[in-house]
Amino acid sequence: MKLLQSRAQRELREKVVASRARLYRMAFAWCRDPVLADDLAQEALAHGLARIEQLREAERLMSWLFAILNRCWIDHLRGRRDDLDDEMLAELPSPLPGPDSHAEMQETVSRVRAAVAALPVGQCQVVTLVDLEGCTYAEVADALAIPIGTVMSRLCRARTALRGLLEPATAQTRLRSVK
Amino acid sequence: MNDERDFSDERLNAFIDNELGAREREEILVAIAEDAELGQRLCALRSTKELVRHAYGHLPSGHRNRDGRFSFWGGALAASLALVVGVLIGWQGHHVAMKSPHDSVLAWAGGMFSPQPTRVLLHLDSALPERMEETLDLAEAYLAKASRARVEIVVNNSGLDLLREEATPHAARIAALASRHEMLAFVACGNAIARYRNAGLDVTLVPEAQIAGTAVEHVVDRVRQGWTYLKI
Repeated sequence: MKLLQSRAQRELREKVVASRARLYRMAFAWCRDPVLADDLAQEALAHGLARIEQLREAERLMSWLFAILNRCWIDHLRGRRDDLDDEMLAELPSPLPGPDSHAEMQETVSRVRAAVAALPVGQCQVVTLVDLEGCTYAEVADALAIPIGTVMSRLCRARTALRGLLEPATAQTRLRSVK
Repeated sequence: MNDERDFSDERLNAFIDNELGAREREEILVAIAEDAELGQRLCALRSTKELVRHAYGHLPSGHRNRDGRFSFWGGALAASLALVVGVLIGWQGHHVAMKSPHDSVLAWAGGMFSPQPTRVLLHLDSALPERMEETLDLAEAYLAKASRARVEIVVNNSGLDLLREEATPHAARIAALASRHEMLAFVACGNAIARYRNAGLDVTLVPEAQIAGTAVEHVVDRVRQGWTYLKI
């Protein structure tokens, strides 16, 4: 029995390590800084490996890891503003400059990344978990410890805001393509 | 429009994120056929989702990430981005034309009530039986609504099964629809066919099917031409 358990644990550990790329991608979408994203992914991995025995259901591995990543990111943000509670953090304006101030924004990809990272923290997390990871609303609610209704309303505000942020760029693309 | 039905943005988001049950999905699909503006809103939401989905393919490395482990994402990116930009250009075109709410129905991609005939591209990329049926139901609904409507069903990935004789449960219905409606076309993605064959699967298309180079290019072309694009 002991042997079986340790084998399952070993497999789970391997899965945790293998999920590094996904954690990095999510962290990058949130903070848009490759070095910080790498640190956050590393930190989440280390926490995950150290607490692997707390994971009750193996199939919940990714939402469990995203929950850890979320805490690492929130801790990082709180490091700058330790007077904030969770609700205020979710609405915290992004620490990054908006898409208009990026020289590279002519490229659609850069613009989209800048627009996503410029969303308030809570909206950014929800929209990236749903769109990049294909998480269900229930998984997002689980990972971020918020009600499903909040997932839906944040997602709704995030997509509305993204459209607003991205429309000028697509208009430019269109004009250029017509010329 | 029936006011009792809830077509809030939250619900439309849930629709494009596959969070609705079959009955609720069906309700929205049916409503799209009657409500051009609803289709336009869904198209805009889906474009936003697709943009986000495809913006993180090729990431810059952090300090500990110099082994190029993300490079495998790069390949599909260019193609999918072309689709997204193309769809978005189409969407933008509609949006620009929709300054006043009164114009919106007319402006919607050669909308149903405009002098331009309705042109709708339905995109199926799944072999789920309910998705296949939704696609055919929706095509039929559009064709029944407007006499000069043009409808195309483009399939890729496992959606190819709709047009494979080896797999489709709808061969008879496709033949009947095609014989009744001249303006209905079925288009299979050339890439998907090649992938199936590479995987050792037989692909014999139903006689009504045409083949496009890739579904992505086909969608981009149609959207540029002002077609309404709906992914099922």
